Amino acid sequence: MIVDRSDEVPRLKWPRRFPVPRNLGVAVHSRIAEGKSWPAPEGATRIATLRIYRFDPDGMAGPRLDTFRVDLDDCGPMLLDALIWIKSRIDTTLTFRHSCREGVCGSCAMTIDGTNWTACTRAMADLAQPAMIFPLANLPVIKDLVPDQSHLFAQYEMIEPWLHAETPAPERERLQSPRERAALDGYYECILCFCCTSGCPSHWWNGDRFLGPATLLQAWRWLADSRDEGRGERLDALEDPFRLYRCHTILNCTRTCPRGLNPGRAIAEIKKKMIERQG
Amino acid sequence: MSHRRPKSPNMQNYRPQLTSVLSFGHRLSGVALSLGAFGLAGWLMAGASGQDAFGSAQALLLSVPGRIALFLVTLALFYHLCNGVRHLVWDSGRGFELRAIYAGGWTVVGTSLILALALWTWWPA
Amino acid sequence: MTIRHIPPFARARGLGAAGHGTAHWWAQRVSAAGLVPLVLWFALALAGGAAADHAKLVAWLAAPLNSGLMILLLMAGFHHAALGLQVLAEDYIHSGARFVAVAAIQLACFAGAVFGIASVLRVALMP
Repeated sequence: MIVDRSDEVPRLKWPRRFPVPRNLGVAVHSRIAEGKSWPAPEGATRIATLRIYRFDPDGMAGPRLDTFRVDLDDCGPMLLDALIWIKSRIDTTLTFRHSCREGVCGSCAMTIDGTNWTACTRAMADLAQPAMIFPLANLPVIKDLVPDQSHLFAQYEMIEPWLHAETPAPERERLQSPRERAALDGYYECILCFCCTSGCPSHWWNGDRFLGPATLLQAWRWLADSRDEGRGERLDALEDPFRLYRCHTILNCTRTCPRGLNPGRAIAEIKKKMIERQG
Repeated sequence: MSHRRPKSPNMQNYRPQLTSVLSFGHRLSGVALSLGAFGLAGWLMAGASGQDAFGSAQALLLSVPGRIALFLVTLALFYHLCNGVRHLVWDSGRGFELRAIYAGGWTVVGTSLILALALWTWWPA
Repeated sequence: MTIRHIPPFARARGLGAAGHGTAHWWAQRVSAAGLVPLVLWFALALAGGAAADHAKLVAWLAAPLNSGLMILLLMAGFHHAALGLQVLAEDYIHSGARFVAVAAIQLACFAGAVFGIASVLRVALMP
């Protein structure tokens, strides 16, 4: 009932998704059909069933849902281990991004049992049976579990995530007290996995204009940086009913961050700064 | 020519959580209360039109469907009020820890139910 | 079917920042803060039987405190509703019809407030 940390898996296994038909209101080219069902490996005793979203961009068919059965005694404990096991033993065409395998790069972010998380830090034991593995929500799908994040990165680029300073660079560092440096804690650690933005209903409805929690958290990271001299221009760029103010404090973002960060709080701080300069 | 790039599902596949469900409830109750506001203006107009008009308006409100509608509006009112206070706390920058979000959310649900029932058991008519 | 190739950065920038948004957000919060006591007062007054019949309604609104609070409730309430419904229209309507919807919402809420206030004054001045 009460959640303390974002890495807590929801206790109730149902509902993993809104109880509506899977293709309700979905555009024709995005509708998901039933896909292949792969048999369990011979001699396996502990089996986990994964239903995985598949899409082949070189084919003529639309997206489908394949069912894989993983031998838990033959692969590592995390979902990423299972995906790699499937790719090496069952279906080499299964495509997904991954890199660090320890939850610091953000590459393997995907929608797992209805919530966004990194596959390398989601234990197989925490999955429902069968588990539902989808690419990050509301993004164009390049192939299988690989979404096209170019719009999200373009929004990130738009907030100019670098130091704005006219003061020429000093011989050594731009000085910052420990307290000023502490103001960045909880914001600089973002790995740009976009789990939060992909899980924000406001970004679902207005993602072309609303910047989303990831970009806004980074906008706050730069607004909060004592060395930055462009605070006014940064706030000017956010003064827009859509770019910032589509945030209605839904807080799906804070619930889903795999790094335990708080985009909701960052956005509230931005809004406070917007008010502060008005009066 | 191959298949057009699909979009991964959003609402049809995402888990309903306390965060999103209560937020949607806030929106739904807000819409209900907007209709209620127009109803209030209409009720006042009936009052300004004399005893007969007001009598018909009261009869409509105290009929069975009228009472049901009024109870739902009361529920929407207290939910929107309590959750609105929760929103104002967030706007001040406080209460963003997950524990506070969840505890506050359940408190809002419970308090609004209790307040709505309390008002209705106390309603004299 | 024409395929529009909009570079991602152009799509992200759109038409630039509109230059407003904070005032709307602040007005919503101020009207909300004002509505908390007003709504509680109204709910308790009605539950206490202030408008059980027409005679009681007239007597209740004859007191300037009650009619004043009622007018404040209508003003703050319709302002808050107009702002909230505008946000709803902006969220869910993505075509140009959005502007028509927002205009209609503003006009309807303004009219609702005016009709409500006029009625309160009429009742308050009833013999």
